[in-house]
Amino acid sequence: MAKEIIMPKFGFTQEESEILEWLKQDGDKVDKGDPIAVVSTDKISMEVEAPESGIVGGIRYKVGDVVPVTRIIAYVLQPGEKAPETDAVPAAPKSEATAAPAAEEKAAQPAAGATPAAPTTFSISPVAQRLAADLNIDASQISGTGRDGQVTKKDVEDFAASLSAGAGKVNATPSARRIAQEKGVDLHALSGSGPNGRIQAEDVSTARAGAAVQAAVAAVPSIGAVPGLKVLKEIPLVGMRRTIAQNMQRSMQQAPHMFLQVDVEMDAAEGLRKLANQNKVADAPKISVTALIVKAVAWALKQNPIINSQYTDEKIILYSDINIGVATALDNGLIVPVIHNADSKDLLEISRELGDLAQRARSNKLQPDNLSGGTFTISNLGMFGIDRFTAIINPPQSAILAVGKMNKVFVPDENDQPVLSRQVALTLSADHRVMDGSQAAKFLTDLKNSLLNLGEILK
Amino acid sequence: MPTSSKKEKMIEGVIPESKAHELLYKMVLTRAFEENAEEMYGLGKVHGTMHLSIGEEGVAAGAGPALRKSDYLLNTHRGHGHFLMWGGDLNRMMAEFMGKEAGYCRGRGGSMHIADVESNNLGAQGIVAGNLPISVGVGLSIQMRKTDQVVLTLFGDGAANEGAFHESLNMASIWNLPVIYLCENNQYAMSMAFERAFRVEQISERASAYGIKGLTVDGNDVVAVYKAVSEAAEQARKGAGPTLIEAITYRWKGHSKSDRQLYRTREEVKKWMEKDPIKRFAAKLDVDEAGLKEIEKKAKEEIRKAVEFAESSPEPDVNTILEGIYA
Amino acid sequence: MRELSYMEALREAMRQAMQKDDRVFLIGEDVGVYGGAFGVSAGLLDEFGPKRIIDTPISEAGIAGACIGAAVTGMRPIGEMQFSDFVVIAMEQLVMQGAKMRFMFGGKAEVPFVMRLAGGSGTGAAAQHSESLENWFVHVPGLKVVMPSSPYDAKGLLLAAIEDNNPIMFFENKVLYKTKGPVPEEMYTIPIGQSHVVREGKDLTVVATSVMVSRAQEAAEQLSQEGIELEIIDPRTLKPLDEKPIVESVIKTGKALIVHEAVKTGGFGGELAAVIMESEAFGYLDAPVKRLAGLDMPIPYNRNLEYHAVPQVENIVEETRKLVKGQY
Repeated sequence: MAKEIIMPKFGFTQEESEILEWLKQDGDKVDKGDPIAVVSTDKISMEVEAPESGIVGGIRYKVGDVVPVTRIIAYVLQPGEKAPETDAVPAAPKSEATAAPAAEEKAAQPAAGATPAAPTTFSISPVAQRLAADLNIDASQISGTGRDGQVTKKDVEDFAASLSAGAGKVNATPSARRIAQEKGVDLHALSGSGPNGRIQAEDVSTARAGAAVQAAVAAVPSIGAVPGLKVLKEIPLVGMRRTIAQNMQRSMQQAPHMFLQVDVEMDAAEGLRKLANQNKVADAPKISVTALIVKAVAWALKQNPIINSQYTDEKIILYSDINIGVATALDNGLIVPVIHNADSKDLLEISRELGDLAQRARSNKLQPDNLSGGTFTISNLGMFGIDRFTAIINPPQSAILAVGKMNKVFVPDENDQPVLSRQVALTLSADHRVMDGSQAAKFLTDLKNSLLNLGEILK
Repeated sequence: MPTSSKKEKMIEGVIPESKAHELLYKMVLTRAFEENAEEMYGLGKVHGTMHLSIGEEGVAAGAGPALRKSDYLLNTHRGHGHFLMWGGDLNRMMAEFMGKEAGYCRGRGGSMHIADVESNNLGAQGIVAGNLPISVGVGLSIQMRKTDQVVLTLFGDGAANEGAFHESLNMASIWNLPVIYLCENNQYAMSMAFERAFRVEQISERASAYGIKGLTVDGNDVVAVYKAVSEAAEQARKGAGPTLIEAITYRWKGHSKSDRQLYRTREEVKKWMEKDPIKRFAAKLDVDEAGLKEIEKKAKEEIRKAVEFAESSPEPDVNTILEGIYA
Repeated sequence: MRELSYMEALREAMRQAMQKDDRVFLIGEDVGVYGGAFGVSAGLLDEFGPKRIIDTPISEAGIAGACIGAAVTGMRPIGEMQFSDFVVIAMEQLVMQGAKMRFMFGGKAEVPFVMRLAGGSGTGAAAQHSESLENWFVHVPGLKVVMPSSPYDAKGLLLAAIEDNNPIMFFENKVLYKTKGPVPEEMYTIPIGQSHVVREGKDLTVVATSVMVSRAQEAAEQLSQEGIELEIIDPRTLKPLDEKPIVESVIKTGKALIVHEAVKTGGFGGELAAVIMESEAFGYLDAPVKRLAGLDMPIPYNRNLEYHAVPQVENIVEETRKLVKGQY
């Protein structure tokens, strides 16, 4: 019997994945466990494996399609079998996730039970579900008007009508349009708080000035290459690149950043690190500067929980878990593996984990858990020779620390005589919605002091 | 005229005795219904307004019952008696009066618009003379369908001064439509006295303007009304066209609940109360005072049960509010 | 100031107008000894006699025609439709004759009369005695349509209507008749064609007519507790409509809710919404202009159904909340 290949759910909050590559095509023979496709979720690429041996058939999506998890993407067939008849599934653009022909099969075959449960209590009537499938609409986008919010046939029809009527258009009130025009804000870049995402006056008024700039920048690629310029290469905005682009754009638009800087003498910390490395046992990892900073940051976060937080429209959430992400450059982008509960780990554990994560990242072997749950991020561009820089907050976190190169500088001693010192520039980017300058300053000062007196916090 | 069973005694040679007793009971029942209605209104159990026909029961008793079940009725706002005489069910009528779902019009119409289309009762009328032009259409339909039905069209003296009255009688007459125009002249169009609103002595005189038969009868005499309606029906069924019957009667109560009756005297009302159609008909049937009391007791008991039924019936569900507006 | 009921205010306006100008008279069904179906003209017969307080047979077309004929020959009649529903019988005279006479005759005929009509539901009078038909007449060039919402407005607007040289449809409201309010004793007029800002507020503009004005005021009191401030505008005259205060208010608040008792489809709310959207206020709208109006149905007899067939205070509160919060 034809076996469905499901778009797997890799992480708890993951709702969709983008197909990056088909490793097998219709008609290719596979063994159970063979990778069939490469998909991207959030920032990592994952492989979809053959659920059993047979011949790949009925591939439903093409590269670049974004597919909600638990949907059938292809089948493994046995000799002589045909892929089940389904309606043609046209490629879906990113913004309108592809429809769910799979929904029916899922309902009819609960035996395909390897598929995890849907993330929400979404409810849809059978007729509406069929219609949504026919119309190639992702029903989960529709807000239901039926009993207990169930999506009805009429909801699907209305949604379809609004999609075709409003395709490519902005849903905004006249007032929002007027203000946007006055302020030079591009409404395309805003998300609305009104019904069906309608942009209202307040949405425009509160949009940061940066939004307009970001929007203007973002708008450039969409209009294509500048006429007359020779194109070297076009990089499709897919996978990790797109995720980074979206997250960073969202962060700059929504979170008012404030930046605080401090130069920290690292002589004492470096002395401690060298001593430890000289005396380490055989297979213990070397302690890196990053590990020192992770440890110090974890300590400072514990003293300043407001930094270890998340902003929502209704409230600010402070976390007791201190999970520190460390931005790691890759050839084609950037990922942020996370040291969970860094405050309760010692320098050796942190160092070991950092090494392990870096290794996995380079070999594309990171697991979703390695990348999720961060409450604070450290970005270190010191190894690239950067003295100091400012970073963009990694949403939904409230702050990020930018670490520069360790430089040797002359500083005055207590007798105002120049002495050589090793210093590193730390720049904190913090979300002003969550905290004020004094709170950010307190954190940064605590961090500085912890590095100056590293021995104290390691006790 | 309806044929009587074998050798049954005929009251004044017109109404079979058993039927006459039934009519007497329904007259008493009508009055009991309206007295109770007035009481309930006073107690705040019903809202809106109502138009009582107390004192006019003789017209109702002589009109509908003179016709066949297959005939049509176009009623007025003062039509409780006509409704009962047409065969209306007291419980469902009471429920309508109290605005209940079990009522004839699901509580939507109320006293002023009560209808029972199934029994060819095309409803009571809130617009004075509003039913007169409709009678032309019903008459035409009967003619086109070639049945021997007739339509009984009721209205008051006030309606005879609306333009619709004149247009309707003219059309019905030129086409010989089987319509019985029964004008219940109760002397007042609200506060407008008959003498102030008409220069003719009798409304039935206006029949001559349309070349049809017109007659005036004593509306408080059941037999006289019954006889006139029977004859008009017979003519209509024969294709001889409409008749205008004026039944003289009197409204004992005010026009509606808000009427202070400054336009007439108590003496005048008392004088008419002596011509009580119920007592007069009871006398014709040799029912004495004690006998009438007995009938009243029975009627009141039936009313009590109807009120009980209506009160225990459910209110219309607000979720159904938009039902029944379009097909 | 002395308080009068809406009904007394109307009566006083008629009395003062008749005392001042003997061309003014009242004609209608039961306006004499009965005092009008709702008592508006009670006592006027005693003061002015049956030549000026004229009872008619039940002949609505006749009443309208009598007003038109008398007006065009120099009198200033006040006609009364006992229930505004009955005006349907007089439509030909009002729409084809009264409204057009001045124009058809090259502007040379004056047809100055006021037709008073008792409209609205809430009395249990069921489908043929509870309609709100004002917008029918808004659609007829040549007629003016006035709709007072308070005793003060009732007197001032009726006196202005009697002085006006045009045919005026003057829609009174049955459930307002007994409401009281301050009314000056002297004669005064409120100009025909002047909207009234009944209440000032910053969050939402409510344009309400007739009995809905006081319901909107009640809703505003409740919402004020929640920090939502309604601005309430009563057009008072549906035709000619004083658009300026409405437009200015919507520019200020960015949101508009129109409330009337008449059924929504084809009601005056549609006209008001269009006026707002065609105006300068369009660019300031931060939500669709919404209408809260009677359900598209005849008025039911049953008390509860009748209540739910037209807007009530709680409906205004709810609708307003949703609009203000952007969750309409």
